[in-house]
Amino acid sequence: MQFVQNLPFISIIVALFSGSLSSIIGGRKARWINIGMISLVTAMSVAVLVYVLGTGESYVYMMGHFPAPWGNEIRIGVLEGTMAVFFCVVMLLCMIGGSREQFAEIEEGKLNLYYIMVNLLLCSLLALIYTNDLFTAYVFVEINTISACGLIMIKQNGRTIVAATRYMIMSLLGSGMLLLGICFLYDLTGHLLMSNIKEQVHILDQSGQYHIPLLVAVGLMSVGLAIKSALFPFHSWLPDAYGYSTVSSAAILSSLVSKGYIFLLVKIFYRVIGFDVIMESKVINVLFVFGIAGMIMGSVSAIKESNIRRMIAFSSVAQIGYIYMGFGLGTEAGVIASLYHIFSHASAKSLLFLSASGITDASGDSTDFFDLTGAGYRNKLAGVAFTAGSLSMVGFPMFSGFISKILFAQAAVEDTWQLLPTMIALAISTILNAVYFLKTVIRLYTPEKPKVLKKKNYKTIHAADNPAKSVALVCLVVLNLVFGLCSEPIVRAIQQGLDMFA
Amino acid sequence: MSSWILLPVFLPVLSGICLLAASFRMHLAQVRGETGSGFLMWALDRKKLHTFVMAILGITAVLALAAAWTGEHSVTLFYLMKDVPVYFHIDGIGRLFVSIVTLVWVLAGLYSLAYMEHEGEETGYFGFYLIVYGVLVALDFSGNLVTMYFFYELMTICSVPLVLHNGSREARMAALKYLFYSMCGAYLGLFGIFFLYKYCGTLAFTAGGSLNLSLMQGNEGILLIAVFCMLIGFGAKAGMFPLHAWLPAAHPVAPSPASAVLSGIIVKSGVLAVVRVVYYIVGAEFLRGTWVQNAWLVLTLLTVFMGSMMAYREPVMKKRLAYSTVSQVSYIMFGLALLSPDGMTGALLHTVFHAVIKSALFLTAGVFLYMGGRTRVDQLRGIGKEMPVTIWCYTIVSLGLIGIPPMSGFISKWYLASGALNSGTGVFEWFGPAVLLVSALLTAGYLLPVTLNGFFPGEDFDVAEVVKKEPPRVMLVPLVIFAALTVILGVMPNGLIGYIGQIVSALV
Repeated sequence: MQFVQNLPFISIIVALFSGSLSSIIGGRKARWINIGMISLVTAMSVAVLVYVLGTGESYVYMMGHFPAPWGNEIRIGVLEGTMAVFFCVVMLLCMIGGSREQFAEIEEGKLNLYYIMVNLLLCSLLALIYTNDLFTAYVFVEINTISACGLIMIKQNGRTIVAATRYMIMSLLGSGMLLLGICFLYDLTGHLLMSNIKEQVHILDQSGQYHIPLLVAVGLMSVGLAIKSALFPFHSWLPDAYGYSTVSSAAILSSLVSKGYIFLLVKIFYRVIGFDVIMESKVINVLFVFGIAGMIMGSVSAIKESNIRRMIAFSSVAQIGYIYMGFGLGTEAGVIASLYHIFSHASAKSLLFLSASGITDASGDSTDFFDLTGAGYRNKLAGVAFTAGSLSMVGFPMFSGFISKILFAQAAVEDTWQLLPTMIALAISTILNAVYFLKTVIRLYTPEKPKVLKKKNYKTIHAADNPAKSVALVCLVVLNLVFGLCSEPIVRAIQQGLDMFA
Repeated sequence: MSSWILLPVFLPVLSGICLLAASFRMHLAQVRGETGSGFLMWALDRKKLHTFVMAILGITAVLALAAAWTGEHSVTLFYLMKDVPVYFHIDGIGRLFVSIVTLVWVLAGLYSLAYMEHEGEETGYFGFYLIVYGVLVALDFSGNLVTMYFFYELMTICSVPLVLHNGSREARMAALKYLFYSMCGAYLGLFGIFFLYKYCGTLAFTAGGSLNLSLMQGNEGILLIAVFCMLIGFGAKAGMFPLHAWLPAAHPVAPSPASAVLSGIIVKSGVLAVVRVVYYIVGAEFLRGTWVQNAWLVLTLLTVFMGSMMAYREPVMKKRLAYSTVSQVSYIMFGLALLSPDGMTGALLHTVFHAVIKSALFLTAGVFLYMGGRTRVDQLRGIGKEMPVTIWCYTIVSLGLIGIPPMSGFISKWYLASGALNSGTGVFEWFGPAVLLVSALLTAGYLLPVTLNGFFPGEDFDVAEVVKKEPPRVMLVPLVIFAALTVILGVMPNGLIGYIGQIVSALV
């Protein structure tokens, strides 16, 4: 066994222990540990990805000395490697970009708690990506939920506490359903390792035994994870949670946490149940319907919203809808499109949250739409970055959103009955997206009247005033352009990764 | 290597971005209340700015024409997705469109030098003006559908600031309307592209279409729907009913030279997109005699008539011209919808003529605004005494648009009518020309009153009070050139007809 094969395990452990380490040291030092840890994990993930791309096949890593049916395993293929690298990079950029807000908005004594939560979050995300064991996945889902709650309410004001409570209730409902599903499966198959369950499920499917319990298990797990990733109509906690928490929390929650659950769902589809069995069950049709409803209702709510942070949050509801719609198409092309949209939405949404905070800083900390008039002139970089993020969300050519829309549409064209609803929903949702994002961009570049200018608490912010955020913004814009202009290697990696899943 | 043909794309775009950066700095300086220095002062200096803009326009024009007329260049820039390259290929129709774009862009640019002084914020305006030029060249050079869509969207976004220029509430609403309609249209087009992607052998433009007949078997119905969506979608840019409403809102609020290029050129990219889809991707044969052709013909004729009627009733000069564009561009669409060689020839001829004429008309409307802020037609009494050369130019191009020989519009309308009569489209054979005729009468009705009231203001008008005052020379020269072109192309159209005939013979 080569050393590089140990790295996924080491990265999970490093993330976990950096959390413990942070609990005994002060906030500012904890930040450095956090940044250093994420960078280290990023480097290790890159090494793993390079290794897996080189060998061209996935490998299984045994935890401890017990072989397959008893011991615990992690499994790494191209898709897992790509996801891990991407999650680390986005998290690093979010943490760097929002560092000033972290110091300003979080109480001094609680600062190290924040970094503990972030470290644990990364640890659980990595575990969700890598694990080959369904019960381990459940454990880390719970860790993920708890640390996400911490991220929401670390900035103490009334609304974040309400939001965190709501999130807790919804999330625990989802976890409960997931756990029930896992119990059912364990009962039916006698295994917890994904590969073993899949063999047994295949036999059950062939023989036609226990058809209904299996269906119930699949349904419980899908719906449970859908609730946790804020699929419409289970999104009521989301606008407040994203809208009022500190900016890096909002960016991480919207771009990574919900995506971790979605990735777990993909793994369950491919590695636990088997894609054919999933397609036979009608569960994905339910996801399809709610996905489409989310695409439209999320955008409608975003249009009605006058608080820019909440507007971006509602846009997440719509984008999550896109992803579930892709699953609902029931083809491999649909899943590829959804996975690509995970990348493209995560890079665009974290960019939007970070740039929105730059814009509101320049507008006297007001998030109200009308106070943002001319903010693009007061904070140049944030204005440009917000424009880039908006164009990406709207699906403008050159940016990542365009490619994911093309992929969705191509996937839909292959199919029969989902064709028309998908196309119509894509069209309506795209136009709704354009309405609220471009409206905001135009508002940013409408010069404010000089009279009002003096009255309001505006200030001009240069890129050099907050170098950390500027660097993060530039990197995220570049990331969006990369996903928009050279999508081919990424789509190929996703394809390759899905082949390794099967 | 023929990648140098991308120079006329990158040069104006990059220099436009430089100007925008300068304009941005200017805003910052204003916000901070400081005086600028260095680069900023340079961009503020109007003379240097003008020299810069004209130099870039000139160089780009030379490069674009050189690229267009020195053979069939092809360049693959990079792969957007697997099997989907960003690919440029210069063919006959691209050559034609690039030439029109260049002509109008340079002349309207010249005119802007004087005109934009009165609108202000010149640096930003010229920045976007140059960028849109580069994007349009790329659009005309595009060699496949995805590349074309790419630059089509880019053109929309980059031209919005031209509409938004004066920043008033009206301009903002108009810009949003423009954006909204364009987005709706572009996405309808995009969905068509998704379908065609499946049924076409290649999305590269192939004369006569590239539909894969074996794949298509049994799916004609859905393909027709897809093509119809694309027609409506790309027709939005060309101001075709039912997505035409942005045009009369957006054109009047833009600065006049911007309205001229919007109306003369940008609207034509909708035409180009439709030509590409119908004649280069699906092929005319596939649509002939289907419900799509009939519906398309009905929509165009409806738009022709409706546009003329609205223009006739409209008292504001620029709005009247915008409605006139709605009507005239649907002449072109009507010619394309006939799917016959004569109809197509007429359509392409009218594309050229209308670009020249409508630019001239908007530039004249700009002169009225520039010299005394006259926006309404009834304020133009006696204007012929004040600026005779301008009004003569106006009259000549108006006659061209109505279609009176020997002006150019006559030739295109002749081809359109004869194309309709021989098209074998049933009732449209005689109904089409009849509508065109009625619309021509209406055109005369809404354009000529300016001339008539201008030269013959009536008994109660005090001629002695009028001071003779032509606009500055840079504004007058483009007008005169456009008017001269209208006459020259009308008297000696054979070269152009021959060239277009060549293109058409490969397509229909």
